[in-house]
Amino acid sequence: MSEKNIRQIAIYGKGGIGKSTTTQNLTAGLLDAGKKVMIVGCDPKADSTRLMLGGLAQKTVLDTLREEGEDIDLSAIMKEGFKGVRCVESGGPEPGVGCAGRGIITSIGLLERLGAYTDDLDYVFYDVLGDVVCGGFAMPIREGKAKEIYIVASGEMMALYAANNISKGIARYAKTGGVRLGGIICNSRNVDREEELVRAFARELGTQLIHFVPRDNVVQRAEINKKTVIEYEPKCGQANAYRKLAEAIENNQNFVIPTPISQERLEEILVEYGLMDSIKDDYRI
Amino acid sequence: MSGFIEQERYTCAIGALQSVVAIPRAVPILHSGPGCGTMIAGFFERATGYAGGNTMPCTNFGEKDVVFGGVNKLRKIVENTFKVLDTDLQVILSGCTAGITGDDIGSVAEEFKDMGKPVVYLDTPGFKMNNYRSHSEVVNAIIDQYVSDFEDENPSRSRKNLVNVFASIPYQDIFWKENLKEYKRLLEGIGLEVNILFGPFSDGVKEWQTIPAANFNILISPWYGEPIAEHLKNRYGQPYYKFGYVPIGGNETTRFLKGVIEFAKEAGADIDEAKAEAFYLREERAFYEEIDNLTTFITEFRYGLPGYVHVIGDAGYVIGLSKFLLNETGIIPKEQFIVDNTPKKYEQYITDELAGISKKREIPAIFDPDAGKAQKTILSLDHSKRGLIIGSGWDREIAKKAGCDFVAAFAPVQYRLALGTNWAGYTGGLHVIEDIYNTVLSTYE
Repeated sequence: MSEKNIRQIAIYGKGGIGKSTTTQNLTAGLLDAGKKVMIVGCDPKADSTRLMLGGLAQKTVLDTLREEGEDIDLSAIMKEGFKGVRCVESGGPEPGVGCAGRGIITSIGLLERLGAYTDDLDYVFYDVLGDVVCGGFAMPIREGKAKEIYIVASGEMMALYAANNISKGIARYAKTGGVRLGGIICNSRNVDREEELVRAFARELGTQLIHFVPRDNVVQRAEINKKTVIEYEPKCGQANAYRKLAEAIENNQNFVIPTPISQERLEEILVEYGLMDSIKDDYRI
Repeated sequence: MSGFIEQERYTCAIGALQSVVAIPRAVPILHSGPGCGTMIAGFFERATGYAGGNTMPCTNFGEKDVVFGGVNKLRKIVENTFKVLDTDLQVILSGCTAGITGDDIGSVAEEFKDMGKPVVYLDTPGFKMNNYRSHSEVVNAIIDQYVSDFEDENPSRSRKNLVNVFASIPYQDIFWKENLKEYKRLLEGIGLEVNILFGPFSDGVKEWQTIPAANFNILISPWYGEPIAEHLKNRYGQPYYKFGYVPIGGNETTRFLKGVIEFAKEAGADIDEAKAEAFYLREERAFYEEIDNLTTFITEFRYGLPGYVHVIGDAGYVIGLSKFLLNETGIIPKEQFIVDNTPKKYEQYITDELAGISKKREIPAIFDPDAGKAQKTILSLDHSKRGLIIGSGWDREIAKKAGCDFVAAFAPVQYRLALGTNWAGYTGGLHVIEDIYNTVLSTYE
């Protein structure tokens, strides 16, 4: 792997929180700004590059490995998409057999051997399965591949709970692998005082809310059209929100070893920010 | 669990493959990395049997199998083994990696079973247990998955004089073949029919099929193998006679046989007591005739004989040898090291047995699988008089340092062969004496 300063970034977060959507949209923002980016999907579902490639057009590394063996060209597993972004899907075994965690380790090892990490890259993003179920899914941070982590969260309890857990993993590997938390990305679910809550939560972890991405239906529409918002509706406000996120990441200087909090403290913060007397019994989202 | 132990005198769970190797015409199929089989073959030297050692089929579980699961490869290897080996039973044993990734080896075994092929499986990842325990597990797996198919022809307890014997663990006990042969000979001598199940004197799967028909079972062991006897008790209602140590020499072998005769009578077996008694008395006489002949040597050998013994071995041998050496040869058992990782609940029984050997002398038993620690303890003891160490090949250097005579008797045993030697039974006692005093005589210049 090249020693040039490629920023390798892993995106973690609770399952279903919008990691893949956020990663691809913010990548589109970086591409817009002229950056060279590779996305490595680290999820057996293999849907981390769909918006970049205009559909699930990618044969996964593990499928290729299974069918063709290790003697393959990089082009067999890497496709170029929107504005030249390079896309790789690690994939996984069939559900219920084998070890998907080891699959991630195998895939990244193969990418390195095939020379996927070229000097001209500015960014590599690892979009990792939501629930880090075993050591294999911690691979991108454990072995020092990704030095920067962003956690996608929302103001929902379970999203924050997951973010706190992920922070524990980061803190563990920070000592040996040098990985740091760059911030929390809030992918809004329109819950009460969401921005304040997530900001307070980020502060507790010793990090920052790097950007608040509002909830907008255009994201859904773009997804149906197999595009990122920036490609689908480049001038809309949501496209700008993703550009701003990209810019915040590009300029980020705030990297920390997170300080995970206790379950009790997490619940205190939720009570503090999540309950507002003024909107009592109004549960509309 | 904490710390580490030095010099384990047993293997991990996959060592149960040797129990399969010991069944005539049975083949172990390893669903593991190639190192597992090599390690076992290396630990138990000369352990090839019908298709074991370095010849045993193995899926050579690699990275691809970790990621995608290895059952397809396993299926292929079972299939091919049937093609190239004329085999009566295949037993799939999985190693650690397959255990962690959760490969469903049971479904593969089922597929073959559905085709009428005798395939049994057992998960034996090394982290689960050692081979003292997995031996029982593999036997129980064969009973549940194979023997059970023959229950109609062999209704439970239908043959009054038939017994199943569970004693030496094949290969873990280096004298297993001849020990089992001796048990079979003795038990047949008192009028029983015997399923010995392992080794050349077993009739292989044909014999295994009749396990349910046995009237009762005989367990010769302080603890290992007991789960088999318990399982058979639950499954077929067979009671079992437990003799908690290796019977060695005149006293103990007669005690063992008398116990079996009593038990057999109670279980309704048809035993001609007079004949049975005549049999064991004759055997006993033959044993004591040799002891008689030896008396002059034992009392007069002027270079001195070992006066005490340390055994570093499994509990069955530690008790058996302590009884034999004290009562029949006068060699005093000092600290005894039980390195088979005895489950806690059996320790009291073993301690009591040792305490019961002599009213005048306490025999300290140290339960610890760390044989390295046992060696250190031995070195710290006084060896100004001539002593004896009975242990594994790894104890030879320690014996040298301590200035003790040394007899290798437990796995791993690099410095002796055990091809036609038993240590159990009447003749076993004579062989123990041969082994000890030949060693002593070889120092005579």
